[in-house]
Amino acid sequence: MPGGLNHTSLPEFKREFFDSTERITVMGSGSLGGKAHGLAFIHDFTRNRFEHSRFPRFSVSIPVMTVIATDYFDQFMQMNDLRELALSDASDAYIANAFQRASLPPELTGDLRALIATINTPLAIRSSSLLEDAMFEPFAGIYATKMIPNNQPDADSRFRKLTEAVKFVWASTFFKAAKEYIAATEHRTEDEKMAVIIQEVVGQRHGDRFYPHLSGVARSFNYYPTGNAKAEDGVVHLALGLGKTIVDGGLDWFFSPAFPRAKPPVASSQALLKMTQTRFWAVNMGKPPEYDPTNEEEYLVEGTLTDADYDDTLTHLVSTYDAASDRLNPGADYPGPKALTFAPILDYEVLPLNEVLKSLIKLGVEALGTDVEIEFAVTLTETPRLAAQFGFLQVRPMVVSHVQVDIPDEELTGPDTLTATHSVLGNGIVDTIRDVIYVDPIVFDKKDTRAIATEIERLNLNMVQSRTPYVLIGFGRWGSSDPWLGIPVNWSQIAGAKVILECTLPEMYVDLSQGSHFFHNLISFQVSYFSIPHAGEFRVDWDWLAAQECVESMQFVRHVRLARPLTVKVDGRQGKGVILK
Amino acid sequence: MNHKSYNPFETAQAQFDNVAEQLNLDTATRDLLRNPLREYHFSIPVRMEDGTVKVFRGFRVQHNDARGPCKGGIRFHPQETIDTVRALSMWMTWKCSVVDIPLGGGKGGVICDPHNLSDHEQERLCRGWVRQLAKNVGPLSDVPAPDVMTNPQHMLWMLDEFEAIHGNRYPGFITGKPVGMGGSLGRTEATGYGLIYTVREALKEMNIKPQDTIASVQGFGNVAQYAIQLYTRMGGKVICVSCWDQHDQTSYTFRKMSGVNLDELLKITDRFGGINKEKAKELGYEILPGTAWIEQDVDILLPCALENQVNAGNVGKISPRVKLMAEGANGPTTIEADKVLFERGVFVIPDFLANAGGVTCSYFEQVQCNMNYFWEKDEVLGKLDLKMTSAFLAVSELARRKKIYMRDAAYMIAIDRVAKAAKSRGWV
Repeated sequence: MPGGLNHTSLPEFKREFFDSTERITVMGSGSLGGKAHGLAFIHDFTRNRFEHSRFPRFSVSIPVMTVIATDYFDQFMQMNDLRELALSDASDAYIANAFQRASLPPELTGDLRALIATINTPLAIRSSSLLEDAMFEPFAGIYATKMIPNNQPDADSRFRKLTEAVKFVWASTFFKAAKEYIAATEHRTEDEKMAVIIQEVVGQRHGDRFYPHLSGVARSFNYYPTGNAKAEDGVVHLALGLGKTIVDGGLDWFFSPAFPRAKPPVASSQALLKMTQTRFWAVNMGKPPEYDPTNEEEYLVEGTLTDADYDDTLTHLVSTYDAASDRLNPGADYPGPKALTFAPILDYEVLPLNEVLKSLIKLGVEALGTDVEIEFAVTLTETPRLAAQFGFLQVRPMVVSHVQVDIPDEELTGPDTLTATHSVLGNGIVDTIRDVIYVDPIVFDKKDTRAIATEIERLNLNMVQSRTPYVLIGFGRWGSSDPWLGIPVNWSQIAGAKVILECTLPEMYVDLSQGSHFFHNLISFQVSYFSIPHAGEFRVDWDWLAAQECVESMQFVRHVRLARPLTVKVDGRQGKGVILK
Repeated sequence: MNHKSYNPFETAQAQFDNVAEQLNLDTATRDLLRNPLREYHFSIPVRMEDGTVKVFRGFRVQHNDARGPCKGGIRFHPQETIDTVRALSMWMTWKCSVVDIPLGGGKGGVICDPHNLSDHEQERLCRGWVRQLAKNVGPLSDVPAPDVMTNPQHMLWMLDEFEAIHGNRYPGFITGKPVGMGGSLGRTEATGYGLIYTVREALKEMNIKPQDTIASVQGFGNVAQYAIQLYTRMGGKVICVSCWDQHDQTSYTFRKMSGVNLDELLKITDRFGGINKEKAKELGYEILPGTAWIEQDVDILLPCALENQVNAGNVGKISPRVKLMAEGANGPTTIEADKVLFERGVFVIPDFLANAGGVTCSYFEQVQCNMNYFWEKDEVLGKLDLKMTSAFLAVSELARRKKIYMRDAAYMIAIDRVAKAAKSRGWV
């Protein structure tokens, strides 16, 4: 990260956490890790370069946080003799439990105890590893983040929950997905160290739920521009509640900052209603869940629009559907189904959120010298005027290739075309891939997606170990948590793929994810992502694939090796892609 | 009884008198607090392995219990004296008070040398001690603990005897028990860690980083070992430790300028904290006279052995570099030496504050036992850190505000609390 901030310039943690004027403090003397570094960087530039006076109703800052530096991680591992177990093939549950049973470095317990004694609002315990610092290797979603309600009346219980969460995040350094992910990079798990961020959660309490009015991700570059929007205008995704909805690739509202009022291109308001968010994530402040400190989502709860309506958090976020006119009217004052369109903010500008985002994106690009993605959460207050607390959660550089690629239309449907698409993520030309791993369409059945994921994982491991990039082809949404909607892999299980095709079949006809589940990794590892609906303009030449030399044929998945490399061409500006035999 | 030229009880009383004057306590309160409330002197006959019976002399002094049940260790030492025990019991009262735990002060002892007793003989001695005192101690009146040359096994024998006499389970009767048998996690480390928590806070006030300091430690028992462990983890370097050599009947100082290695020293140390001289030499340690620890050119001195170790005779040998002394032992500094340290501007963390980690954790053990619910180590140590830090900050703040010595400030806070408790109860 550019910028003058380094670890020694951050203040040491003082035990008056929230009374302190410092928004970022450090416990320990090791490294801060990538995420914390990024947050320290944002803190610096929002404090010094963001024009707060332009947006008097916005309070833009990073949520108060402290960082447990990596030297405590080292001490924890060493004093509890955990390294051998951590690096072994032991299951995630075994590792997580061993970490839970281990003791914290005694120098840390006092500070954590003092911190928790003075706070009883929800906290996010976030990973911040050394390897998260690299621009090309985002490690997004690889390590754990645990939210805790921190609302138990006694400090003892709160302390226990905090220490459990810290140990869980440390343990996640050595979970299977993380190890597989690292194996696909040039790094080693042994070299990874984990700092931990303890940060206040942006939001408000509504009964048994704690959540921000909205969370979002804003990018300076949009791979899927629609209508009049250009790729360089960027894109913003908004969701009610915690940002987990967006990170998980769930339904959210997206728009171009250049055209905030423009709606997604759908046929009708009814269709628009169906593609808006209906469930949201919050921190559970109510009845304690079943005790499981090794469950990342232990304290998360899902709510519905009805719940949000009850909480009175929808006022500035929704439109109301009027069946008589088949229109969505901005606001919540009318009777009728609600849709999370954020129209009062985007259309009526009850708050200048879009202007704030444009300003922050511009600052981020200038500061980092590259395209950026920022994560944020916003809480609205109405006394006396509508105002917003804008919590800046993360900034990440985006690797955007600006190589000019031209794809003549005749290439899209020629005899040498394996497949093509008008919906592709990525940019550039790759002509070195000879291996294709694909789900056999003849035997595919959506009841088998979990088994398919297992087979792919094994083949991927072989490819990663031999450092052989490949094309991966499958059906449904890659990475879907719902096995009926796609193949439920995580990134580490497909990390060796250089090109990913997401297709449909009549029996697996779903809205394609367009890579949303793995967006950061796709961009950072420059993996092209083709979306190919079976009912669309283009097909995959399955017969040709079946005729190629088979390296391994499993029950659902085949690995073939081609005599000559494929040529993969992606024009990211036009959203056009082709794979030539 | 043995008589020595140095009388620790007189020292303790003198310290009290000085502070009572500053607090302007009335005569009755002074008279009440400068002497123990109760003392028990008794004989313990023990059948030895060779069939003979030896009679040991033991005592228990309950200095004051206005704030709660008496609390204090039992020591086995051949040179034990009643005056030492009285002084220690008084210091226990102030110690519990300064860290603000709801306990009073007590102390006990037996004149003996456990090095010369077999395990069976030690067990009989422990059980005999309890038999003599069973009516006068207990979880609600006086809670003993380990001290010099007593250990968790001794405590367990005593607990067992107490429970046999009273016919029920009373895990809260005695502390310092093994973990799993009513002991608290963290207790082993507590005194040593507590000492270093106060050192940490003192260094913060002096704007010095631990990693920029080196220390010399007297003693290599429980307190010293864990103090060295935590201090080293914070970045400090210990260049020498001193300890008693049972064989030679003298003490030695073991020095390594690059920093002592705690793990390697522990491998050559007996259960009473005595380091094997020959093996230490082989490991590259210089063997110096036992008194050499105080002469080292260091930033921090940590006396963690016995009383009367920093005195008029050797205070002048302390290096000008020394900025901080934290008293891990009880009463290691005489009044005369204290004056010199004060004049030299050495920051002294007084014993009953600096080594209060042990009794604080004992209190935690008592609480856990009485609830029959035991905490994780993180919880114990986290609470310990906070308690010790709060206590240090309160004393330091008073010292700064009134421009007085840390020891006086600590005494003022402690004695004031006990005096108020005695007054509230209507005793004076």
